[in-house]
Amino acid sequence: MSKIKTLNAERLSLIGFSLLFAYVLSFQFEGQVLYSLLELSKTDSDSYILLAIIAHFAGLFTSGIFIKSETSAKRMMLGGMGLCLIATVSFYFPLPTLWLIALLISGYFSGAAVAAWGYFLRAYTAKNERIKTCADALIYSNLLMIAVNVLAMNRSPLIGLSLSLLCLLLGMIFIGLLPQEQELKEQKSLSKKASASIKKPLFLLCLFVFIITINSGLMYQVFNPAFAHLTGLVSWYWAVPYIIALVIMRNLPRKVKRSGILYIGMAMIMGAFISFMLLGRDTADYLIVDTLMLGACGIFDLFWWSILGEMLDYGENPARTFGIGLSANVFGVLCGGVMGMAVTSIGLPGAEVAVIALAVVCVTLVMLPPLNRQLVLLLKNHAYLETYDTMSRSEQTNIVRQIKTLDPLTTREQEVLHEILSGKSNREIAETLFISENTVKTHARNIYSKYDVASRSELISNLLKNQTAE
Amino acid sequence: MDSIRKRRNLYALLLSVSILLALLLGAIISRQAALFFAAASLITLFLLLRQSRLCSDAGLIRDNRILQVPAALISIENSHTKRPCEETIVSTFGILIGSDIYRWGLKGIHGIRLHSVEIDRERMHLTFGDKSQIMNLDLLHGLTRKEAVQDAAEKLWRETGVRADISGWQEISET
Repeated sequence: MSKIKTLNAERLSLIGFSLLFAYVLSFQFEGQVLYSLLELSKTDSDSYILLAIIAHFAGLFTSGIFIKSETSAKRMMLGGMGLCLIATVSFYFPLPTLWLIALLISGYFSGAAVAAWGYFLRAYTAKNERIKTCADALIYSNLLMIAVNVLAMNRSPLIGLSLSLLCLLLGMIFIGLLPQEQELKEQKSLSKKASASIKKPLFLLCLFVFIITINSGLMYQVFNPAFAHLTGLVSWYWAVPYIIALVIMRNLPRKVKRSGILYIGMAMIMGAFISFMLLGRDTADYLIVDTLMLGACGIFDLFWWSILGEMLDYGENPARTFGIGLSANVFGVLCGGVMGMAVTSIGLPGAEVAVIALAVVCVTLVMLPPLNRQLVLLLKNHAYLETYDTMSRSEQTNIVRQIKTLDPLTTREQEVLHEILSGKSNREIAETLFISENTVKTHARNIYSKYDVASRSELISNLLKNQTAE
Repeated sequence: MDSIRKRRNLYALLLSVSILLALLLGAIISRQAALFFAAASLITLFLLLRQSRLCSDAGLIRDNRILQVPAALISIENSHTKRPCEETIVSTFGILIGSDIYRWGLKGIHGIRLHSVEIDRERMHLTFGDKSQIMNLDLLHGLTRKEAVQDAAEKLWRETGVRADISGWQEISET
């Protein structure tokens, strides 16, 4: 019975979020509806678009301050979506000044509402299933966005606006139907224990996301205007490669190493910018450029969304973790957008713009391997520490014994190693063993030397490899 | 330990004075004088950093003490010279003899390591070093009870992984 209930809650949460995200994609966050409305009223779109993105970034980044429980997350989603609804209604009236205020409000509260979903993603989706839930949310929201875009671009922007509002309204209904459930005690204790160690992986993830999405920002500003004359095709094909990439990534067998696919994604981005530089502006050219670029975006987006989803278990506040992670994406788009606006405003030719984009890709390419390695290593460690902590003392001892050392550990070093593997910080180990923190650090260094590793992460990773190889 | 700390404080004072003089003389008298004191500041900074490192190591040794004795005799293998020393602390990570520090176990298997420990009725003989040099240290341990010796040996085993060879105590208990 409870399983059915959780399943329903998971579906409700997924549909509710997909509808909210469809509104964000089609209207608030560089949506075609917003572009069409601004074009229709002959208003300078850049300032409006930038304001909306900045407000959205602020909402995502600060949401963790006031969303501190599942109840407040639900309230924020409903209240935020309600405020977005009211603010967006102003776009039916030709009042550009009011639109600025409306975008500020809707941008901020849509960001906060998106971040709040972190609570429901953690509560209703099993740990290793979050990649599928994230993929589903992105696929559904993009399909809805395509439908809204087609109508907005080919029929009337006001029809598109009405559909965006309908998405928001339906999303509110689905989120309102979500049950109020107490969070699992286990989950809380796990979060509390691991919260101290989430800062580094989250920072690394944000850096990764930021760099990757600079290209998306550039793409919005450079590709879109270049192919604006293909309105009919752009309205529906734009996100199709993105959705296909998501479907492929979602259904990949577990054995497939997803991190390797990132390099394919990187090559696709490079291919997209080179094609943009060499090819013309016809339908076939658009199909090639868009397929490469949006396909790569799908690969990268699902990669970091799923990592962010898994990270929710290791922070006390999932809205904060989810919000900060997504804000890095928005910040990357913002920086890429500003770069794009700068290069288009000074009238740089397409070839030079592509060279700038390729330079960004090269920087990303250099940074990708160490970032990816650190990130995957740290997440593996989290997963391992959790498993290690639930083992019996004899099982823990066996795991440690199975790994060969260059020199035997002393009794004191064995004690320190056990505490390290229990996920304790140096300070906590010092308190447990009644020794100074400096002593713990020196013992830890000696342990690393005896295992021939350079860091705590590497030590834990070696233990993990040993365990999985059995 | 105190002498290391005092020297560190002296270097810190010298550094502050030389920086102050470099700034004052540079502004008032001449650039050459300022350069001279700037160079002096750099040298003092280097000495201060080195002394701070020693102070930190000494603190680590003191915090993890296994045995503290009032006098010691130190000798180097393949050399017949022996040197009397002041108050000595034997610890998990090395020995502090007055203001001299002999470290082991600070860099794991790649650094200086403790090789053996022998304890008799009067002395404790320690051998430590790396591939390039082996040091021998004789301490007058001043322990009169067998339990205290066993306790020190147990601590050494637990903390450093080296089992002490105890001799000369069996005869006493038998007589």
